[in-house]
Amino acid sequence: MRHRRYPFIVGFLIVPVALYAVLVIWPYIQTFGYSLTDWSGESQTMHFIGLKNYTALLSDHVFLTALEHNGLLLVFLPVITILLALFFAFMLNVGGQGRTGGVQGVAGAAFYKVVFFFPQVLSVAILAVLFEAVYRSDAGGLLNGVLVKIGLENSQNPIEWLNDPGTVLWCLLAIMVWQGVGFYLVLFSAAMQSIPKEIFEAALLDGAGRAQTFFKVTMPLLWDSVQTAWVYLAIAAMDFFALVSTLTPGTAYGGGPDYHSEVLSTYLMRNFLYFGKSGYACAMGVVILFLTLIVSVLALRATRRERIEF
Amino acid sequence: MATVTFDQATRIYPGGDRPAVDKLNIDIADGEFLVLVGPSGCGKSTSLRMLAGLEDVNDGAIRIGDRDVTHLPPKDRDIAMVFQNYALYPHMTVADNMGFALKIAGVNKAEIRQRVEEAAKILDLTEYLSRKPKALSGGQRQRVAMGRAIVREPQVFLMDEPLSNLDAKLRVQTRTQIASLQRRLGTTTVYVTHDQVEAMTMGDRVAVLKDGLLQQVDSPRNMYDRPANLFVAGFIGSPAMNLVEVPITDGGVTFGNSVVPVNREALKAASDSGDKTVTVGVRPEHFEIADGEAKSVSKDAPAGVAVTVNVVEELGADGYVYGSAEVAGSQVDIVVRVGGRSVPLKGDVLHVVPRGGETHVFSTSTGERLSD
Repeated sequence: MRHRRYPFIVGFLIVPVALYAVLVIWPYIQTFGYSLTDWSGESQTMHFIGLKNYTALLSDHVFLTALEHNGLLLVFLPVITILLALFFAFMLNVGGQGRTGGVQGVAGAAFYKVVFFFPQVLSVAILAVLFEAVYRSDAGGLLNGVLVKIGLENSQNPIEWLNDPGTVLWCLLAIMVWQGVGFYLVLFSAAMQSIPKEIFEAALLDGAGRAQTFFKVTMPLLWDSVQTAWVYLAIAAMDFFALVSTLTPGTAYGGGPDYHSEVLSTYLMRNFLYFGKSGYACAMGVVILFLTLIVSVLALRATRRERIEF
Repeated sequence: MATVTFDQATRIYPGGDRPAVDKLNIDIADGEFLVLVGPSGCGKSTSLRMLAGLEDVNDGAIRIGDRDVTHLPPKDRDIAMVFQNYALYPHMTVADNMGFALKIAGVNKAEIRQRVEEAAKILDLTEYLSRKPKALSGGQRQRVAMGRAIVREPQVFLMDEPLSNLDAKLRVQTRTQIASLQRRLGTTTVYVTHDQVEAMTMGDRVAVLKDGLLQQVDSPRNMYDRPANLFVAGFIGSPAMNLVEVPITDGGVTFGNSVVPVNREALKAASDSGDKTVTVGVRPEHFEIADGEAKSVSKDAPAGVAVTVNVVEELGADGYVYGSAEVAGSQVDIVVRVGGRSVPLKGDVLHVVPRGGETHVFSTSTGERLSD
């Protein structure tokens, strides 16, 4: 009987595995192959140049700047998003105390939960349009308009959020945080609801205030979810292509002003399609792949704790 | 140490119109062990949680000592609670679990350590102090939960069915341990359980609740000897008291082929309220097998009620006979305790009479106790 099962299982698996191999695995291998050539993208002629593309990357200061930006995002995006999401999830589920009546969220928690999730359903294209209006560099922009109205800014000399080398990257980070918090809020809320309510009640009786409950009880118990969130956000931080290419100045896929918002993915695309240095771009792609893998593994390793059982 | 007072305390859940706890009045003395008992949904846990501050009090007041704690947050009430599922912090060691409240209160490390070790010694937990809760058995977790309460030296212990997650044997053992620990510490304790055996064995006094209403508060002895109404009579005691509706006759009530003497005033009270019958309660252990000497109404039949045996439960020391009998024209189920060496067989007919002075008479219409 046993050997009859295999054709059955293989019958189901063959199509998805074949699709995966052709559409995912093979392109990866191809990319690695192209990265060892001087392929220009259009022509079919190319020459094998060994690891020259890779050595060139090491002295390409734009690539290194982009790498640095991704590094910054890698630190700040997960930290800010997770802390905010945890804080909101805590307030919505167990933060509403100070009176009798046990463990409950702040007033209107159910409503906030829905509202916080809204940004998550917007596509990146809509985000770009939306935040173009928010960050406009004259008093017509939401941010500048408000700052001018309350007198913190001269309307003749507004801050050019997306054109200022000092602010552009942080503005993009803010968009990602704004969009991501809702999703992780829901993720953490769900995890929080699987913690027996009595544990929070015990903390309440033990005299723990909001902050103590948050840091000494909630955080440790949510560690598994935090870990998952960290990996997702780390991968998102390695990307950032859509926002940079749509919102920032610069020829072909943004990254300006003067590479101050350049990230690995935009620089890759510019090399691939605009500069015609496709082989070089492929080498970059391979580097990004391995960096992302290493970051994911590190994130999982660094945050590993003993499993919590209730 | 402190007294606890429920003064007309009422809890109505949002959206409900019937109170979960309805004008509860109990005075608990300093150092007393009070057990709240009742069937599920009777409001016993809600009452406890109101005292803990985990549940709002809609009306009335709750006092600990002289302090009105009705609207104080839980942390200001100086109480410690043991939960049914223990609610141990899963990421902390046993020692950290027990010392958490002290740590929050800012007690210095050396003192926390000392108090935790003392409590651990009392509860036989010393060798487990560095373990996490998941590496403990159910009984050990229960003791850690107790330890967490003891370490704080609160004014009042609250326990919400702390034994119901233990197996039967451990439950009996732990029952005694908790009771003796409480006597030793002398801390006022409110204990919630649905198990009337626990209530009877542990409490200084027992409070029976039903549908949010307090039925009776009394010592276990009085609760057993003088249940205030039909509900308490049926709830306290295992197996439950036999409650049989019988017609009133002159000077007593007819019970099968015997007349059970009943206090004249009780009968008068019953007939004054228009009842033709009263409900007589007899505990299984208060039936005697009629041996022909007992006085019967008609001479040609044996005295008492003829009980046909359906099932016999042999417990070793004694046995319980579950039988049916015809009383006042209707079939009733009757449970009789018999000696372990003289157990009848299924199908036998026993003639039983209630032992004198061990009958309880209740009004059929109101359920209130009539005899004293």
